[in-house]
Amino acid sequence: MPHVHDVLTSHDISKFVNLQVLARQEVEGFCSGLHLSPHKGFSVEFKEHRQYVPGDDIRDIDWKLFGKTDRLFIREYEEETNLRGTILLDSSGSMGYRGSRSQLNKHNFAVRTAACLSYLMLQQQDSVGLVNFDTQVRSYVPPRSRPNHLQKIINELDAATPGNETELGDVFHEMVTKIQRRGMLVIISDLFGDVDRLLKALAHFRHANHEIIIFQIWDPDELDFPFRQWTQFSSLEKANNHHLVDPAQIRRAYLEKLQQFQDALSDGCSRHRIHLVPMTTDQPYADALAAYLGLRRKSR
Amino acid sequence: MNFLNFMNQPLAWGALAFSIPLILHILNRSRFRRVEWGAMHLLESVVKVNHKRFRLEQLLLLLVRCAIPALLAFALARPVLTATQTPTGDTPVSLVILLDTSYSMDATKEGISHFDKAIDAACAVVEATPRGSEIAVIQTGGVPTPLFDQPIFDSKAIVRRLRTLRADFGASDMQQSLDTGIATLAGMTHVRRELMVISDFQPADWQGSSAADSIQQQVAAMSIKPELTLLQMGQVVTGNVSVESLDFSNRPLGIGQQLSVRANLRNHGNTASENARVVFKIDGKEEAVAQVALAANAATQTLFPCELTTPGSHVLEVEVVVDDPLKKDNRFSAAVTIWDQIDVLLVDGDQSSQPLKSETDFLAVALTPYTFGRMKLSDLVKTKTVNYKTNLKKEFEAQPKVVVLANVPKLTDAQCNELRDYVQAGGAVFICAGGKIDSKWYNKELFAKRGLLPAEFGMPKGKIDEKGLSSRIVAQHFDHPALQFFNEPSNGDLSTAEIRQWYELIPPESRSMILTSISADEQPPAASSSDAIVMARLDSGDPLLVEKKLGEGIVVQMATACDADWSDLPMRPVYVPLMQQIVTTLATQLTPPRNIQTGQAAVALFSDGTVTDTAQPTSSASVTNAKDSISLSMTTPTGARRTVRAFRQGNRLMARYDGTRRPGVYGMSTPEGQTVHFVASTSRDESDLSMLDEAQLNSLADNMGAHVVDSPTQYLEQDRLRRNGREIWRYLLAALLAFMFLELILQQRFSRVRT
Repeated sequence: MPHVHDVLTSHDISKFVNLQVLARQEVEGFCSGLHLSPHKGFSVEFKEHRQYVPGDDIRDIDWKLFGKTDRLFIREYEEETNLRGTILLDSSGSMGYRGSRSQLNKHNFAVRTAACLSYLMLQQQDSVGLVNFDTQVRSYVPPRSRPNHLQKIINELDAATPGNETELGDVFHEMVTKIQRRGMLVIISDLFGDVDRLLKALAHFRHANHEIIIFQIWDPDELDFPFRQWTQFSSLEKANNHHLVDPAQIRRAYLEKLQQFQDALSDGCSRHRIHLVPMTTDQPYADALAAYLGLRRKSR
Repeated sequence: MNFLNFMNQPLAWGALAFSIPLILHILNRSRFRRVEWGAMHLLESVVKVNHKRFRLEQLLLLLVRCAIPALLAFALARPVLTATQTPTGDTPVSLVILLDTSYSMDATKEGISHFDKAIDAACAVVEATPRGSEIAVIQTGGVPTPLFDQPIFDSKAIVRRLRTLRADFGASDMQQSLDTGIATLAGMTHVRRELMVISDFQPADWQGSSAADSIQQQVAAMSIKPELTLLQMGQVVTGNVSVESLDFSNRPLGIGQQLSVRANLRNHGNTASENARVVFKIDGKEEAVAQVALAANAATQTLFPCELTTPGSHVLEVEVVVDDPLKKDNRFSAAVTIWDQIDVLLVDGDQSSQPLKSETDFLAVALTPYTFGRMKLSDLVKTKTVNYKTNLKKEFEAQPKVVVLANVPKLTDAQCNELRDYVQAGGAVFICAGGKIDSKWYNKELFAKRGLLPAEFGMPKGKIDEKGLSSRIVAQHFDHPALQFFNEPSNGDLSTAEIRQWYELIPPESRSMILTSISADEQPPAASSSDAIVMARLDSGDPLLVEKKLGEGIVVQMATACDADWSDLPMRPVYVPLMQQIVTTLATQLTPPRNIQTGQAAVALFSDGTVTDTAQPTSSASVTNAKDSISLSMTTPTGARRTVRAFRQGNRLMARYDGTRRPGVYGMSTPEGQTVHFVASTSRDESDLSMLDEAQLNSLADNMGAHVVDSPTQYLEQDRLRRNGREIWRYLLAALLAFMFLELILQQRFSRVRT
């Protein structure tokens, strides 16, 4: 049976063990947690006092304050709910690329990132689910907050391998129906495919009140196209799709095309208030994850 | 026939390096790398859109890249376009430069003379000749003269000598110069031959000359054809003023006799010079100054009368003081000789004790009028009258300038021989007819046997008492120097005299007649060298005066008597100047000319006495051989001193100096310690500083089959092209850089394709 430490090193874990995953939006939760909830009630986090009005539950009166001031005040608390997070892991063929400068291919990098997030969220008693997909949903682990749920996720992550074609737009539309309760969607993918259809699908998620964080996984080769000699590029997704080119000749065109792709994605995500975090596989994935979570915390 | 050659032939094979990019391209395409690629949707869209363009651009880029090493290899191989000629490379050349050293090259413009430019050009050409080249420089000024005696291989020595040259020689004779140049070139050794003319190309030197046709014919006749190049130096300058000539009487002058010197001045410019100062100098001392107005493009004359009071050689000089571009022609000199005394021996054949009855009485009076008139003025001529029976040998030892045989019946054989020796050694004899002469004896002994007599005595004509049979001297234009005096009517009319009796003089019609009439043994050495010249005729058609040169001397024969028996000539005023002119001309005509043309030899004769008594030389001249020769010094116009050898000729010494190429005054020291001046002058045609224009020069070059160049640089460039063809490596290098730049641009541009 795979263990969490097969995926994450102790060093990785120590990086973010004390960090807290904070949802920007208040999400309803039935578990007590650290995430903000619009519902005031039982909590350890005091919010404010207000004057008692008839109808209020007399159990909420702060009797100590009444003894000091001889006036009735209601003691109110911030209710902290559990986050319902779902990790969407792209296992398409394009995720199988590993450049010379990276130790992991994009899929392995994504798997580790997903494991980190799962561990973190379960540590915070948030519920975590996992969707493994390519052209369609390959496996779905519903969100749970039990500590032993991590093992199940790890098992799924370990079983995931890249290989098939993908069309994110179609898959995401399909998932909207499965992930009905709103929560946080963590998409770990290279997002290769038709940008318009992808953005439409993401908009669909947003319409269902999901908060979306996208970790876009890049190999450095894909960003700077460092090839020099004549190269035959074969598609990782489609068989018999290869092109023999002089990389020097097309490099500029490729980079311009790449920039257009990223701009389109960035604009679309910004429009839908989706956090798009590009990550490269030559970076320590955990460092990047920690930096992002730190940023989220500060923004709160 | 190759139109393209390579100076570094092996490097041309480097052009095969064009295949390197091609091979690399093929290798790259065949040994490509395989990459399993994820972001294929990005790559694929780029490739699909630009597929055809990529192909085209690859091809274009490949071509450019192939061209780069090929161009580099070609450039390093130094290709030359040789057209139809075979390049000769740096093989040595036989080069003849005709350098114009005439005085007109000294014309300056903006402080630089044409000659300075010509020297710079010649030096540049000489210095650029390949090692081992054979070079001759011929100075065309005056007489064409090579810089060195023979062509030499040391270009540095030539340059050093060129830097010392001056352009003050006489006018160029281009025909002769070209002939000399071609002849020099024909004797040179290298196969590549070049003849270059560096000159100002004045119309005076070239127009009307057959130099072009002549040179073309000579070149055509040569087995190895030389390349002819014309390099015109300098620019047209205007406003030159020159003294063209000095005119004065060439009759012998005695001390105190007046001489009128007429200077001919010409303004070649377009602006008049109102008050030009003209200075007249005698022996360098200013004697007179005149102010003359010189109209534009016009000539004028100035007259300077003068008297010379010391015997010997003198130099007259006229200088016009103006600010013009050419100073050399602003002065003109002439040498004159003032005679102290001319000794004349009168041999009387009909002496009488009564006044004016002797044959020579009238003649003696005519030759020494001042002495007979008891005037203070001294006569140029000093006469001595002797009877024909006296010992002539003794008289000849006194070296009279002229011996007059007046009505001498006959001479003894010894006297005849002495007379012949006297003439051949440079003496002058004036033979006058008369009633006592034995014409048969004259014809036999003096005409036929000794060749002394210019003409045979024929029949006596006319009668003393019958006026109807008399004759008169034909008043014509006289060419003989002795009679030119009478071309001026104011000097007297010879035709006024009535010649009542005379001998028919029969000059030999041809030389053969003389030769057949005397035996070979008795033939005088120079008897055949000159024929008799009729100086004047009577209106009857008979010669009156006949001249003949014999040896170094001269004989003049008169058909009538010199006294009043046969004519009334002695009664006429014209008699005195006639006899003076004949005798003094005879005395001085044997003196070689002192006013010579540049290139003409300066010859001086010295009397025997000075060297026969060489034990007591009176001069500064060093006597090296008392009998045969002495060394004299000659001062040239530049002040340089040259040694001249004077050799014995008969009883005289003759000194000859040939280096008179430079116009100006030459001074030769005589054994007596005096100085004999020679003035070498040249044609002043070159004083008109106009030059052949471009069309005329090109036409001349076409006629000669020559090239015209503007500068030595252009010549050297043409020469380089002739030797090596046109090098095109610079263009290839430029193309290489352009292709490299193009490759960069294409690479940049091709990577910026549609997305």
